[in-house]
Amino acid sequence: MAAVAADAPTRGQALRQLLRRRTVLIGILILLVIATAAILAPWIAPFPPNRLSIVNRLKPPSATYWFGTDEFGRDGFTRTLYAGRLSLLVGICVVVFACVVGITLGLVAGFFRRLDTPIARIIDAMMAFPDILLAIALVAALGPSLATVIVALGIVYAPRLARVVRASTLVIRELPYVEAARALGVPTWRIMTRHVLRNLVSPILVQGTFIFAYAMLAEAGLSFLGVGVSPEIPTWGTMIAAGRQYVGQADWMTLFPGIAIVLSVLSLQLVGDGLRDLLDPRLRKDL
Amino acid sequence: MNRYILQRFLGMLAVMFVVVTVVFVIVRIAPGDPASVMLGPDATPADVAALRTRLGLDRPLVVQYVLFLGQLLRGDLGESIFLNKPVLSAIADRAEPTFFLTLFSLAIASFIAIPVGIYAAYRRGSLFDQATTTVAMLAASIPSFWLGLLLIQWLAVRFGVFPVSGYGGPGASLATRLYHLVLPAIALGIVSSALILRFTRASMLDVLGDDYIRTARSKGMGEFRVVMRHAFKNALIPILTVLGLTAALLVSGAVVTETVFSLPGVGSLVVSAVLRRDYPVIQGALLVVAALYVIINFLIDMLYLVVDPRVRY
Amino acid sequence: MKVLRRTLLAGTVALAGVAALSTAPAWAQAKGGVINVATVGEPPTLDPMVSTADLVGIITQHFYETLFTFDKNWKVTPLLAETMPDISADGKVYTIKLRQGVTFHDGSTMTSADVVASLKRWMDLASRGKQAAGFIAGVEAVDGATVKLTLKEPYAPLLALLAFNNAAAVIMPAGKMENPLKEPVGTGPYKLKERKADQYIQLVRHDGYKSRAGEPDGYGGARKQLLDEIRFVPVPDPNTRVEGAISGQYDYVDALPVEAFPRLQNQKATQPVMLKPFGWPVFVMNTKQGIMSNLDARLAVRTALSEEDMLTAAFGSKDFFALNAAYFPKGYVWNTDAGTEGAYNIADPEKAKGLLKKAGSEGKPLRILTSRQYEFHYKMAQVAAEYLKQAGFAVELMVVDWATLTQRRTDPALWDIYITHSPFLPEPALTGILSEASPGWWSTPGRKKAVDAFNSEPDPSKRPALWAEVQKVIYAEVPAIKIGDFNALSAQAPKVTGVDPAPWPYFWNASVSK
Repeated sequence: MAAVAADAPTRGQALRQLLRRRTVLIGILILLVIATAAILAPWIAPFPPNRLSIVNRLKPPSATYWFGTDEFGRDGFTRTLYAGRLSLLVGICVVVFACVVGITLGLVAGFFRRLDTPIARIIDAMMAFPDILLAIALVAALGPSLATVIVALGIVYAPRLARVVRASTLVIRELPYVEAARALGVPTWRIMTRHVLRNLVSPILVQGTFIFAYAMLAEAGLSFLGVGVSPEIPTWGTMIAAGRQYVGQADWMTLFPGIAIVLSVLSLQLVGDGLRDLLDPRLRKDL
Repeated sequence: MNRYILQRFLGMLAVMFVVVTVVFVIVRIAPGDPASVMLGPDATPADVAALRTRLGLDRPLVVQYVLFLGQLLRGDLGESIFLNKPVLSAIADRAEPTFFLTLFSLAIASFIAIPVGIYAAYRRGSLFDQATTTVAMLAASIPSFWLGLLLIQWLAVRFGVFPVSGYGGPGASLATRLYHLVLPAIALGIVSSALILRFTRASMLDVLGDDYIRTARSKGMGEFRVVMRHAFKNALIPILTVLGLTAALLVSGAVVTETVFSLPGVGSLVVSAVLRRDYPVIQGALLVVAALYVIINFLIDMLYLVVDPRVRY
Repeated sequence: MKVLRRTLLAGTVALAGVAALSTAPAWAQAKGGVINVATVGEPPTLDPMVSTADLVGIITQHFYETLFTFDKNWKVTPLLAETMPDISADGKVYTIKLRQGVTFHDGSTMTSADVVASLKRWMDLASRGKQAAGFIAGVEAVDGATVKLTLKEPYAPLLALLAFNNAAAVIMPAGKMENPLKEPVGTGPYKLKERKADQYIQLVRHDGYKSRAGEPDGYGGARKQLLDEIRFVPVPDPNTRVEGAISGQYDYVDALPVEAFPRLQNQKATQPVMLKPFGWPVFVMNTKQGIMSNLDARLAVRTALSEEDMLTAAFGSKDFFALNAAYFPKGYVWNTDAGTEGAYNIADPEKAKGLLKKAGSEGKPLRILTSRQYEFHYKMAQVAAEYLKQAGFAVELMVVDWATLTQRRTDPALWDIYITHSPFLPEPALTGILSEASPGWWSTPGRKKAVDAFNSEPDPSKRPALWAEVQKVIYAEVPAIKIGDFNALSAQAPKVTGVDPAPWPYFWNASVSK
């Protein structure tokens, strides 16, 4: 097969090798637990997420309230589960958005020489902005909401993917069998999707995993600064922001959502790292 | 070689041009008329219209864009709506804490990450290697603001070792100001040490396998000397590269960290500008930070050219 | 004239801090030293006329002064004026004698020309000045040291408006009052030395200051100028302010979340100071347009809400708030229960549902406009939203920053309820909802009759009864819902003395021991 994928094992082998690594296995397990808990939140959460119980406000963790309660007497465990749904959703949506934009740009740049320079410059320019700073400016411009946070972070991370895709496309384009397909008159879009994209699966998978992790961190940062998701929507970031006022008095309000972020991001990084080592050792230096 | 430098330089200018355009677009799609924001809720429509004319907001976008470019060429980033002064001087006022914070975090991160990275590479696959790699990843998974909160709670409030926030107040000595940066620099440094560690390790691994290291060893040179004199020296260039880029990335972390510690830096300037809808400041800060990044990148390329004669394009 | 002064007799501000503040005589206090004051943020302007922000008032009152001010019993007392004004028998002509030898920070002497120009600027630019301008026929200088204000009709709140420290009628030199202001030049005991936006505002003693004779008396009386320097440091994050107080980084910290009280107790570097009661949060209804223009819908909101839960979520324990339907707490002459019976803390969503049905507004969106500038606004909004949902309202919380809120509330198409608060003011006529022009646009014959009667009554002994009538109309027509009384918390280092607890703290009589 292609040079990029030549030294990579087949998919079944890859998965087995991947799971043999302890760190990756741990990462996948944590991720599965968190994702399952978040998805099943409506069924496993002990309370409705918005149920106020003013008499029970700021209660420390106990048998009833595993993660304590917040200033409205809402259950911290329930809220952490529900917040996980949105935090993970934001991460996934950002990855999808960044993939669609980034892959398209990268493929086009790699395949059409005339468009390569302008697109490469745009990618370079976008990468020149620090991610949070650019996201803040974009959210400020688009108006803060869940959707704009996703779009803003998607715009922020798309160039990273575009760069990787472009670099790989430039290599693949020159491969003999692609040249041959072209000579046979196979349409360009078909070559792109058939031959090129297939070889790009691993780098995209690796980048996607990391973007997922960064996006969750960035969303929490934006929410914490008060320029992200609206504060009454529970995400781990908004929960920490709300609990900040009660640090020293109700530390559990910041502790549990914080741990949830750390665990999710860590598990994603473990998985991403394992994938990278396994599938595409050459990408190692990119990050 | 000169042709290559010229090419790279033109490339940099092109990127700068795109940066400027992107910033212009971001600020123009923002809702809310800057003129009515500037004048406040009590302004009459006539006042707003007059100000719009003065600011050139009533002209076509293309004209505004050309005027904007002209302004930039003259080094003019506009006036802050809220602070009543030129954006450039507002940013200059705030540059010091951000500069030192970045420098300190980088120093702390390097101080931890480079020795650990070297040793991990040297003992590749050992328990130490695996443990440090995992810990580094853990560090990179912590939101810096959360770590900042924990540090404030423990080191500043409970033990009173460091100041909680701020930058020392009027006329504070340099020492006082720097003392205020210790906690934020730790918070930011820990979080960003992961990248440097990983890069140091990878670069060292590359070099340690090379022939001349084997030669050095076979000559009976001490292990420490082999690692430090030969391997590290050669791994230094990629490590310096990543330090340069981390410095630029740290600005991102500084945005959040400065807010947590109430530091009057460029990052917190941007956050308050967003909350106050002070668009000229947002625009100016984005431009300055991005321009710095592009220039650092260019300089690193040039550095490669000087130190590594193999680079030829 | 004496009669009018008594009008403003109001409740004293009670102090319930852990440690009573020292009231040691000023001569025993050391001159010199610096005080670091943490404030809620960077003031949008240093021009006290153009802003009603408390923060602007707190800072600028140190370098700008008004003709009159309030003493410790909230009575109007002269400041730059020599005495209280002579008021003609028909209540329409105020003759104000100015103090002699008062100098501005630039060295020039204050004259009647400066005062006339300043008052005109106030009537043009300040929201409270515009409110008064409708009653003022003319302002003129009689001689170098006397100013005459002529009214179209008697207007009882005038002196309180002239004495107020935000949207304030401060005196500026006639030549240095451009808008926007270039540099603040006032007559106050301190003058601006340096302003570094978002870092500090540094004030130093005004050496040419001429204090009033006698002893300090609230904002009035002598101003001692003991400190060399006052530094206002903006610390927008409330938690950082608490931590800064505990670590001793600031000598005085304003506007802390009341729930931080236990954390401030038994600290070496600081002690809590509670101002009780400080003010009242209020839900203002858009009576002009949308779902809240219907009286039954407004009644439905009031019937649904649990003020107790809202206050508890916002302020924690009853040490920090009080359930109170009356617009003024006990101790004020304006305190009355008129109209409040069965109209407060009802928390009956079922009954509210009926009212909403009657209004025909079930399921229509109810837009609540609030901000997180004041965390308690936002918390009350969240609790209210839950109760209102139970009553069948389709609640939509619009959380924006404060600047946006002040902008949006001026457009009746954008909101149904907005949340704000006010300190207890010495004069009820200053209350925002009473003005037809203020957002909410409450304008009914009932309002006009009650408010006009109250504003034009010159006899202070009759005014409390007229205020009771106003409160009755407020409760009958529900242009707003008063949520309750809440306390304010500040923190002060033990080494600081001479700061009276006040809604707008001032430091010209403060000193620090070394």
